[in-house]
This record gives sequence, C-alpha cells and structure tokens, in this order.
Amino acid sequence: MRIKQINSWTVNIFLSLSAIIAIFPIYMAVINSFKTDGEMFKSFISLPTTLRFSNYVEAFDRINMVQSSINSAIVAGIGIMGIVFCASLAGYKLSRTNNKLSNFIFMLFIASMLVPFHSIMIPLTRMAKALHVQGSIYGLAIIYIGLGVNMAVFLYHGFVKSIPRELEEAAEIDGCNEFQTFFKIIYPLLIPITVTIGILDFLWIWNDFLLTLIMITNADHNTLILSTNVLFGEYNKDWALILASLVLTAVPVVVMYTFFQRYIMEGITEGAVKG
Amino acid sequence: MLQKSSKKYISLLAFIAPAFILYLCFLLIPTISGLYYSFTNWNGLNPTYKFIGLENFIEIFKEDPYFMDSVWFTLKYVVCMVVFQNVIALLLAVFIESRTRSKGFFRTIFFMPNMISIIISAFMWTFIFTQVFPQLAEKTILTFLGQSWIGDPKYSFIAILIVSLWNGVGYMMIIYLAGLQGVPQHLKEAAVIDGANAFQQFRNVTLPMITHAITICLFLTLNNAFKVYEVVFGLTGGGPGRSTQVITMNIFEEAFSNNFRYGYASAKSVILFILVLIFTLIQIRMTKKKEVEA
Repeated sequence: MRIKQINSWTVNIFLSLSAIIAIFPIYMAVINSFKTDGEMFKSFISLPTTLRFSNYVEAFDRINMVQSSINSAIVAGIGIMGIVFCASLAGYKLSRTNNKLSNFIFMLFIASMLVPFHSIMIPLTRMAKALHVQGSIYGLAIIYIGLGVNMAVFLYHGFVKSIPRELEEAAEIDGCNEFQTFFKIIYPLLIPITVTIGILDFLWIWNDFLLTLIMITNADHNTLILSTNVLFGEYNKDWALILASLVLTAVPVVVMYTFFQRYIMEGITEGAVKG
Repeated sequence: MLQKSSKKYISLLAFIAPAFILYLCFLLIPTISGLYYSFTNWNGLNPTYKFIGLENFIEIFKEDPYFMDSVWFTLKYVVCMVVFQNVIALLLAVFIESRTRSKGFFRTIFFMPNMISIIISAFMWTFIFTQVFPQLAEKTILTFLGQSWIGDPKYSFIAILIVSLWNGVGYMMIIYLAGLQGVPQHLKEAAVIDGANAFQQFRNVTLPMITHAITICLFLTLNNAFKVYEVVFGLTGGGPGRSTQVITMNIFEEAFSNNFRYGYASAKSVILFILVLIFTLIQIRMTKKKEVEA
C-alpha cells in the first residue's frame, strides 16, 4: 500500500520536467562548447555538426588548466589533511575530558559555526598579511584549516562518544602513551566520520570562491575557479571559449560525483543531521 | 595530586593546540577584532585610527540608503529562498520516494547541479539567460523567455532565484529523502486503513515525522541565503546600478572595491552577523517545539 492515490502520471511528468530543468544548462554548455560562434547564433539548441575541440584547446591554455588544477588540488589536499589531523585530535580529547576548560573550548568551537564568513573577511585579510600567509596557496590552505576545524571538531566529538572507553584503558595497560593510543587504536575507528568530513570539506574548498578571490593575488597561484572567473571577465562575449572553460572546470567534480555519489549523499546527510 | 591534574591539562592542551591555534588566528581573533573595528574609524590605509563609539552604526541607519536597500533586497531573497527551496525540495523528495525503479536515477539528476560551484553555475546561467532564452523566444512559441533577465531589476531578481534554486534544491532534497526514509511504514499503513487519502497521510503522518529534517533544512537555507554572494556576483554583479546588491556585496564594495573604509564596513558585517543570529535563533526555537519522537 504505497502512496498509490497520487496520480502516477502527474508525478512522472513533474519529475521529468524537473529533471530537464536540472540538466538543461549543463547540456547547453556542453553542446555549444563544440560550436563556432556562427553556428551558435544560428541555433543554440541543435547539436554541433562536427566535434570541434579547438575551443577546448584554447580554453585549456587560457585557464592554465594544469597549473590551476594542481593549485586547487594542493589547497584542497592540504586543507583536508590539516582539518582531519587537527580536528580529530581536538574532537577526541574534548569528547573524553569533562572539565570547565574543555567545555568552554568546545562551546567556542560550536558558537563560531554561526559566524558568517563575510563578517570576518576584513580582519582576516589583515591577519593573513600579518602572518605572511596571504598570496600563497599553502597559506590559503592553512586558512581553510582554521575556518574548517570547528565543524570537524563538532563531528568528531559526536562520533567519539560512540567508541567504548575500555579500548583506551586496555591500550594504556599495554603500555601505550596517550598519543600512541590515539593514533593506533582510536584513529582507525574514526574512518567513517573522517570520510564524511573529507567529502564535505572537499566540496567546500574546491568550489569556494570568495576567500580565494581575496587571498590570491598572483595569477600563477590561481585556483581553477579563480582562473575561470578571470577568463569570464576578460572574454566577455566569446561564449564558445567561456563555455569550454566552464565545462573543463565542472567536469572533474561531476565525474567524481558519479563515482562517489553514494558517499557524497551519505556524507551530506550525516553532516547535516549531526550539525 | 597537583602533578596529576596539571599533567592532565598539559595533555588536553597538546591534543587541542593544533586545531585551536589555527582556529584562534583565522576565526576567533578576526571575529573579535571585527567587532572592535566596527567602533572605530579605521580606513585600512591610515595606520592610526580611533574609537568613535556608535557613529558607524548611526551613519549606516541614517545616511546609507544603499546599504538599507541591500538589506531589504537580501531579506526578500531570504524569504523567497526559504519558501521555494524547501517546498520544491520536499516535493521532489516525496515524489522520488514514491517511485520504485526510477528513484536512483532522479536522485542522481536532481543532486548533480549542487556539485557544480555556485559561481560556475551563475556563469552557465548567464549564457542561458542572455543568449539561449532570447533566441528561444524569437524562434519558438516560448515568447515569455524573451525578457531582459539580467538587465531589468524585476527579472534579474527572478534570475538570481532560479540559479540559487537550481543549485541548492538538490542538497535539501537529499536531507528530506533521508528524513522520509525514517518514517515508519506501519504508521503510513495505519493511516491508510483509517481512510486517510494521500494528502491527509502526508499532512498528518509524514510531515510531523520529518520535522527534524525540516528544522535542519530551514536552518541551512536561512544561514546560506543571508550570506548570498556568488550567484549575484556571477549573474548581475549587483547591477543594473545597485538594484540587485546584497548585503555581502555592499560590505565587499565598502571594504575592498572603492573606499577601504574598513571600520565602517566592519560595522555592516556586525549587522549581518546579528541578522543571521536573530533569524536562526527564532527559527530553531519555533521548529524545535514542533519536533516529535517516533
């Protein structure tokens, strides 16, 4: 007895129409990226007559695809590793201690999750300058760690509660010190939540725009999104080129999505329900 | 005894230090110093600045129509997003949940736009709005598409909404789907036996059971909608004129683009923070009350 009463046809039509809307811009970007301007202005809807890759060759070059992708990957990679390392240590310890100091620090982490990025961006640029992390991709990655740990600490904190304390006691009796206990016994058990955090932070850092815009001043350090933004500004009317670069920027994430779909969706639900 | 407790504190600090130091530098100190700057006349270029009390705030409310316009525009956007994003996401989730074989397919499709960076989405849609739609309006019967989507403030608001929804609905849908899967089957069956139709069943059984998901989604939408920047940046850049300028954009302009009035812009940031805080606290209070246990 599922919801049979809902008219099955209306539902199907509604879903299909929505699916078309969801796909439409991506589809248009892809098919038109193979056309010349002339072909486009004849019709945007028609399929390209030939598979012309010259737009892609030029876009690849203009957005400095290789360098930009490496930059994006470095920022995301270091950012995620840093967040996981710092937050798992802190989240574990905060979950296992119960005194005024630890509760206060935990409250600080939680409360800061409500602070909008735009409210701190001005002092943040000043801070970044003072600490000499402005302008470099490594510096950018470190800032992402600082901005991302609060959420991760919160998630680890919740997860650690489900791990029995007896494990640590046993390890202590066997002669492990606290750090050995953490890295050898506890850390492996945290892998499920680490995957969740890794996915959420990857999507955030990889797709983030404003912080990179403020922090990166040297074009050699541009991330993928930033390079595309520059190209969009410079070649305002050259749609074939712009679309090719948009597709190039979007493709890695969409491919990743098709492979890791299940984990991404689980990660989001997990992160949201706990958060 | 003393040694033992101090050892405990040292180990606590050792574990927390890496996270806390970075958090301190890039989040906590900026938050607090932003609050402090909002009471000063610091302009970013001049190394000296002084405490001027509430002058910045008074100026914002009395002499800054652009900022107040951006606040109203943002509020309008927030209301529309909260309503439409959640209604559409919930509808999609309920409909998908009622399918059997095509469930996975639709879920994949609807969530896909969310994977694309919001700024890239805005660029893609700029192409659709400025190139594809006019051509479609000209050559087909879809003449309603032939608006000045980016140039006319009335339509650019709709354009901004469309892109935001296109990008964001999938995320909420996933959370609603998870919520719907948690609704016990026997409750739905009981409702059907009692003679409830599909709508009554949804209204009286499903909806109360997913209030937790609703709380989360409302919270996320509210929070993100107040911080909207990228969509507007990519589509209209705040224009034409300042007609689609949002709060964040006004702050950005004040601080980075023209006048470098850091102290004054900080005061605006504080107002944004307070707005987000008030609205989310009210929302959480209201929806938390309605949550029920299975």
